[in-house]
Amino acid sequence: MGRNLHKGLREILVHKKGPIVEKWRELIHKSYPPETAQFLKREKDRFSNPIGSSIEDSIWPLFDQLIGEADPSTTKKLLDNLVRVRAVQDFTPASAVQIIFALKQIVRKEVLPAAQKKGLLREYLEFESEIDRFGLLAFDVFMECRERVWEIKRNDLLKRPYLLAGGMCPSYMMKRGIKHLEKLKKEITQH
Amino acid sequence: MAKELTPQEMLRIDLTPPNKDWMDIPTVIKPGIYCYPAKPEKVEIVGMPNPHVWSPLDDDWGLPEDWKETFLEGMRERLNKHRSFKIFMDICVRCGACADKCHFFLGSGDPKNMPVARAELIRSVYRGEFTKAGKILGRLAGGRKITEDVLKEIWYYMFQCTECRRCSLFCPYGIDTAEVTIIGRELINLFGLNINWIQEPVANCYETGNHLGLLPHTFKQNIEFMCMDIEDFVGVTIEPPFNKKGAEILFVTPSGDVFADPGIYTLMGYLLLFEHIGLDYTWSTYASEGGNFGFFTSLDMAQRLNAKIYAEAKRLGVKWILGGECGHMWRVVHQYMNTFNGPPEFLEEPVNPLTGTKFENAKSAKMIHISEFTADLIKHGKLKLNPKRNDHLKVTYHDSCNPSRGMGMFEEPRYIINNVCNNFYEMPENTIREQTFCCGSGAGLNAGENMELRLRGGLPRANAVKYVHERFGVNMLSCVCAIDRAVLPASMEYWVPDVNVCGVSELVGNALIMEGEHDRPTDLRGEEIPGFAKAEGEEEVTEDV
Repeated sequence: MGRNLHKGLREILVHKKGPIVEKWRELIHKSYPPETAQFLKREKDRFSNPIGSSIEDSIWPLFDQLIGEADPSTTKKLLDNLVRVRAVQDFTPASAVQIIFALKQIVRKEVLPAAQKKGLLREYLEFESEIDRFGLLAFDVFMECRERVWEIKRNDLLKRPYLLAGGMCPSYMMKRGIKHLEKLKKEITQH
Repeated sequence: MAKELTPQEMLRIDLTPPNKDWMDIPTVIKPGIYCYPAKPEKVEIVGMPNPHVWSPLDDDWGLPEDWKETFLEGMRERLNKHRSFKIFMDICVRCGACADKCHFFLGSGDPKNMPVARAELIRSVYRGEFTKAGKILGRLAGGRKITEDVLKEIWYYMFQCTECRRCSLFCPYGIDTAEVTIIGRELINLFGLNINWIQEPVANCYETGNHLGLLPHTFKQNIEFMCMDIEDFVGVTIEPPFNKKGAEILFVTPSGDVFADPGIYTLMGYLLLFEHIGLDYTWSTYASEGGNFGFFTSLDMAQRLNAKIYAEAKRLGVKWILGGECGHMWRVVHQYMNTFNGPPEFLEEPVNPLTGTKFENAKSAKMIHISEFTADLIKHGKLKLNPKRNDHLKVTYHDSCNPSRGMGMFEEPRYIINNVCNNFYEMPENTIREQTFCCGSGAGLNAGENMELRLRGGLPRANAVKYVHERFGVNMLSCVCAIDRAVLPASMEYWVPDVNVCGVSELVGNALIMEGEHDRPTDLRGEEIPGFAKAEGEEEVTEDV
């Protein structure tokens, strides 16, 4: 990933990093309603603005991963930070991960003309494919998050019946809770 | 409200939402955000109106024919009865100070979750139906009429507020949006539109004394099971008193501590503490619930469910009442109980029998918090503690909304933790004490079907936990609320998977040096404590060696 990025193209990307990532941030902010986008932009305290800080903390190093020596686990961690929040918000799966693909629109405006001038169109297209790969990875992360939400929901449901069963003593069942859960999970898988 | 998308709609991926006035953006009710509707039989048990089967996704919510009149009459009645509600409807200048303080807004990014906007859902109806300007100018004066869609919108968002009151802290006028939610939910309940996660506990509590509907023998048996665990893990035999007439103190805790993991370990902490100091107290199988889901239904229901605590204190002839670790229970106890069902002249001002400390803060209501009690015992050197038993834990403390903002209890839990643990780390200043972030699932929203909502609401708290986890290696999130204990594990599972959740009294229980205890290689969860576990191959020491 990114390893074969042409030196000339990388120079342009490094040079344009500031404006590109800033525009990317703005685009992600604007995927929220206007009042929210304003807030995400305005509030700088990371604890008063957890969505904003998750974006800010992810996009800069993610761009570095795109143009530098990408480390798969770091890339995934950064994408996780960005997508985990969106996975429980009012986004469809497509609009949750579209923020990665949308980076192409920005890079096209900022970098493509200069790349073409230097005859680096082919290299540029390869770089766009790299963004696509990040987008697909983001979809993996999105699905992992959604699966996690359902696992948490399922565990909640599995716990409930025996906790609510009138005749049973809950703490007695609790002691056997893990076995009980495992048995129920097994039954679910079998049927 | 939910509909199948057309292929064209499916292909349209809008990255930028429309820029319109909030009244023009229709509310779409989504699964994962709402809780299932109240079962009719649970509405009927407590004699509430219009029990019926309905679904939030249906167009027809089964409203009675005259529902508009009932709604407006209900609102008029409450505007006259609650001066606070009337003032809160009138004085908001929409300055926006509260807008970005709500955990649901911060986690969802949905502008209708800004407290000002959420209250505006009702305020707009107040203007449109009750004020001259609103009646004449309508939308120009920020007013609108009550319609089915408006009622549905109010319903959706009243159950996206946990009544945590963080927003009220920042309002220059002191508007308490929680009170607007309380009234909003009361209005919703005029039509049998409660959520079942609140209604069923209310019905259970009314019938058996606790939210889970545990019958007296089960309640007792459960606690006895925990005593068996204590015998295994600590080596001390405890025989807790139940319904003991003439005991000095009545102990009331949320039933979550009696049945739910990890609340049960907190309860084991209470049992050890009371045994340690030889307290003359009693459990009650009748007042077997400190929590009050009636408070999330209507103030009348809160009063009805709360009545059992004083009634039981009177029946048993105790001197005063001690309460366990709970959140909203303390808002009710601290701010409502005394006038709901008191003041209880038959009780005495609470005095710690071991230290002589008078709890003047509870002079009228006669009920104090377990953390106040424990902190006082520690302060007077009445507890033998070995904090090293908690050395494997790096602890942070989540100020539960109601004990902190609702009753101003900030220092006692911290004092306790600092005495029973050696590794305590605070979360950032703007996320604790008065400014604490809600767990995201309070006020009856701790169901399973609304998990997306809960995870959104839990983000700001989890974000601060993540920070101390990454910076200091914090692995235990302590709190003094049963709902926190029930819901924060799910939030941690999603946002910060390596952090566990416990009650402060669990930490106390682990640190207490009990008379006659045996070797304690494990904690109250039965998990080995590093440094206390026997080395492999080491023989168990028998008495005659």
